Amino acid sequence: MLLIETDGKALLAEHGVAVPRAMAATDPTIGDIRDKAQGVSLPGDGPWMVKAQVPVGGRGKAGGVVRCDTPQEASAAVRRLLGQRLKGHRVDVCLIEQSVTGVERYLAVMVDPASYGLRVIYGAQGGVDVEQSAITQSRLSPPHPAGVAETLAELIAIEPEHWRSHIMATGRRLADLVLQRELALAEINPLFVSDDGCVAGDAKLVVDLSAVERQPRIAALLEARSQTYVDANRKLAEGFDYVEIDPDGEIGLVTTGAGLSMMLIDELAARGLKPLNFCDIRTGQMRGSPARVMRVLEWITARPSLRAVLVSVFAGITDLGEFGTLLATGVDQTPALRVPVVARLVGRGATEAQRILADRHPGMLVTEDLEEALSSVAAIAGKSRA
Amino acid sequence: MITSLSRDTPVIVQGITGRMGRTHATLMRAYGTNIVGGTSSRTDTKEAAGVPVFANCRAAVLATGAVVSVAMAPPLETLGAVEEALAAGIRLIVTVAEGIPLHDAMRIGRAVRRAGATWIGGSTPGLAIPGEIKLGFLPDVCLRPGPFGIMSKSGTLSYECGYRLVQAGLGQSIWVGVGGDQVKGVRFADLLPVFFSDPRTHAIILVGEVGGNEEEECAALLRRLSGRKPVYALIAGREAKEGVSMGHAGALVLGEAGSLASKTQCLTAAGARVFGSIESLIETCVRDLT
Repeated sequence: MLLIETDGKALLAEHGVAVPRAMAATDPTIGDIRDKAQGVSLPGDGPWMVKAQVPVGGRGKAGGVVRCDTPQEASAAVRRLLGQRLKGHRVDVCLIEQSVTGVERYLAVMVDPASYGLRVIYGAQGGVDVEQSAITQSRLSPPHPAGVAETLAELIAIEPEHWRSHIMATGRRLADLVLQRELALAEINPLFVSDDGCVAGDAKLVVDLSAVERQPRIAALLEARSQTYVDANRKLAEGFDYVEIDPDGEIGLVTTGAGLSMMLIDELAARGLKPLNFCDIRTGQMRGSPARVMRVLEWITARPSLRAVLVSVFAGITDLGEFGTLLATGVDQTPALRVPVVARLVGRGATEAQRILADRHPGMLVTEDLEEALSSVAAIAGKSRA
Repeated sequence: MITSLSRDTPVIVQGITGRMGRTHATLMRAYGTNIVGGTSSRTDTKEAAGVPVFANCRAAVLATGAVVSVAMAPPLETLGAVEEALAAGIRLIVTVAEGIPLHDAMRIGRAVRRAGATWIGGSTPGLAIPGEIKLGFLPDVCLRPGPFGIMSKSGTLSYECGYRLVQAGLGQSIWVGVGGDQVKGVRFADLLPVFFSDPRTHAIILVGEVGGNEEEECAALLRRLSGRKPVYALIAGREAKEGVSMGHAGALVLGEAGSLASKTQCLTAAGARVFGSIESLIETCVRDLT
């Protein structure tokens, strides 16, 4: 999972990589503070970069990064960006940074899945177009800092000699960070290089949610931002996956299996419907309790745009008879649920589930056929729209 | 190693006295898998799922001659389980755990490679050669011997495909769940030559999803290999949210990397057919092979 830049930079700084002087702004009223005389001072002298903190790349091109020459411009930019949606994410935090000068380079250390090692990437140019271009060079490295340093030395041979030691030191620290914090990726683009050393202009750090249990520093970063990392925090707290795709979505999903759930979202969208969420509820871990069904129903019924609920369970191991009972109880216990439910249940105990649900919720369509379930969800949504 | 698996291959289950271990050992045996024993740290249990329980892999392998292990260990204990199995001489190991830490997976990968063994997983339902052997928990209703080699990142989405093939009277030659993790054992590209050289396999179904570059890597190999078999691909995650993992740790889109467009383009250019819905994939597979 991608950290927002300000958290990424906090980790970089803790591992000895220089970052620009900066402050985080979460309150649009920062716009009332015009200059130092009135209280809050901006970091250093201008110009400043005001950057929307959302966990996606390409923020600059999407208008999320603004260069400001005066405090007035900076506060106006913060006011404008906070609360905006940028590439599907709401901006809750802006970073106001002192602008840095230097030559722009690209540096990244990442896990390389095919070689079970690290990949070191270096670009003699940095900037917004680097990721799409062929101007970076990459080499595989064994997963230890000395190996990364050796690999990086080959990649930066073209650089002026007095810069190389600065870049090498940054690369070694980046490798330490990746290995100690169990990251998937640490990318600095641009990396500003000058005679004084290297400064990270941006930070793209991808953390491993599976390792959070033994990474207290990462756990603390996630916990501190309940809104920005809402999906990750939910996964860690609940033990299953739920991601809101569209707060104005129409179709709520109570589904098991990550791949099938993703595919159902695609299939619904292809039928002109707006799926609300992704969900892998993991029926195997329910252990006879309707709690998970109720949690998901609670989240999806909180959205007034909801028109229908699609339940889909392909039971290899799960006994659908038991799941049918849990679903019926979950629906009973969710008074806020006022839209039709279509349940696609196939596998072990499907007949028993059909019997239980027909008895307790005669209005619910229960089928083994996924195409039928999708068509009927489409029909319900279409009718309630009209 | 994968193609030579059969109903005679001796298999152990690590963690056989746990809830998952016991259940799946029983179900695998019922399918016909030659489960010869299991391991457990519980010293008071001598038998589980109708097979003997050993203190560790070394003892289990010595007593049974097992060459395959299905590790039913929790994610943070999977690295230890694999190291133990490799030290005992296990040649193929399936790790079903979801949520193995990435850097543990790197260590597992390196250890398996050093040992010259084969690793399937994590986050996988396992693999099967229908009618012969099942390692893990692919649902029986989806399994039937037939012409399709299936390789899939997702369990459930592949169940859906397998189930519809069975309903259409078709089935699978070899089915491998490579799993949804970013760092894993066997990858799509490793399986392509396996399927190409396997006489039971007439066509290949690749069930992929956004994130990572396995589909692209497989496409690059497909272009190079001679002796073609048709490849049908289904890629989930067209609507996935950028920067957020969709359930599977590996399903993470960052900019262009790992996107549906990139995967579709590479696979199509390599001669595979890429489908946007389960129904269109299955309809074409059924039409082409019946």
